Amino acid sequence: MTEKLLICIMEISQQMIEVGAEIYRIEESVTRICKAYGAVRVDVFATTSNVIVSAEKPDGTVLTQTRRITGSGTDIEKLHRLNDLVRTVTATTPDCATIREKLAEIEKTKKYPAILYILFNAVIAASFCIFFGGRDYKEIIASFVIGFLIGIVSLVLERRSLNKILSRFACSFVSAMSAFVLLRLGVIESVDNVIIGNIMSLIPGIGLTNSLRDLFTGDIITGALRSIEAILLALAIAFGYILSAFIFGGVA
Amino acid sequence: MFGMDELVQVLVSFCGTLGFGILFNHRGKKLLFGALGGMLAWVIFLLLGLVIEDEVIRYFIVSTLVSVYAEILARIIKTPTTTFCIVSLVPLIPGSGLYYSMAYALEGSMESFLARAAYTLELTAALSMGIVLVTAIMRGFKMIVHNRRARRA
Repeated sequence: MTEKLLICIMEISQQMIEVGAEIYRIEESVTRICKAYGAVRVDVFATTSNVIVSAEKPDGTVLTQTRRITGSGTDIEKLHRLNDLVRTVTATTPDCATIREKLAEIEKTKKYPAILYILFNAVIAASFCIFFGGRDYKEIIASFVIGFLIGIVSLVLERRSLNKILSRFACSFVSAMSAFVLLRLGVIESVDNVIIGNIMSLIPGIGLTNSLRDLFTGDIITGALRSIEAILLALAIAFGYILSAFIFGGVA
Repeated sequence: MFGMDELVQVLVSFCGTLGFGILFNHRGKKLLFGALGGMLAWVIFLLLGLVIEDEVIRYFIVSTLVSVYAEILARIIKTPTTTFCIVSLVPLIPGSGLYYSMAYALEGSMESFLARAAYTLELTAALSMGIVLVTAIMRGFKMIVHNRRARRA
């Protein structure tokens, strides 16, 4: 166990948080790795915004490092590979340089191309428009087109690294606006299912359920942080919708 | 009974879940099984509708079963459980509940708004309880196994 090695371990834990791993998994992984390298006692405290690790060596000295984490998102492929890395590191205890190499490799994990991301945003919108009862083909097509638009908007905002809450607000505003404009033009007869289809990809439903999972299984701080985030996101969506309904929907 | 409408719902629940898989960068087997899980969730939900009328209870049962599906698959494919949890339950997200609550709030019909919002919360709570139940049991089980091994060593 050296300072340098702990830096590598911190790097792994930071990346795991950034791609959306559960907090308990991070704490467990760090503890296991440190123990594999001979630490006699390991204390880890992780939330979605920081990690603190203290490892006691057999000679009685203690190594401590912290990381501040700002980014958060979901990248399952990267998470999967990081998880594999933790498994191999625990089993084979390689040296620092090897871990760095592996991390650099994981850094290059492929993402789906932007066009596919945008296209499937449209597919989600159209699918859930049908799912929630939209059977008029005009509504389904409108939903698909707006979903495509929202895909572009959200990707652009993400690249500009705009605050998550503002970006949800913008997406919700744009989707409701487009739907109301199409309604005014007489293209569709009702906006309900079109907007619902588009809301589905914005709604933090899974964020909320996962935050409750954290909350009820002991990671109270993380659970509270994540549920507050989910509630704020839901409010942002509601405000986006309400604002555009006032402007374009003719609701007095 | 099952008609055209239900069949369409099942098909689009697969497509929608697949879309979420792409957004979250699921690849290969994980993408396929995540989407199949979403479809499975809706099939179970519809089938349960034949016996149980109450949607909240059905939500709870489906989310429990799908979480079990997620745990089992995660162990087979050797990947974190989150992988399947975040996509396979997507068809159960009460998106229409949120929308109609907003719409009623906008119309100013307070009673409808409160009723709809409360119902949406109930569904979300049922969904979460299913996941929490399975997670809690799995972690408890893991801890028992871990302690036994530690005692033997």
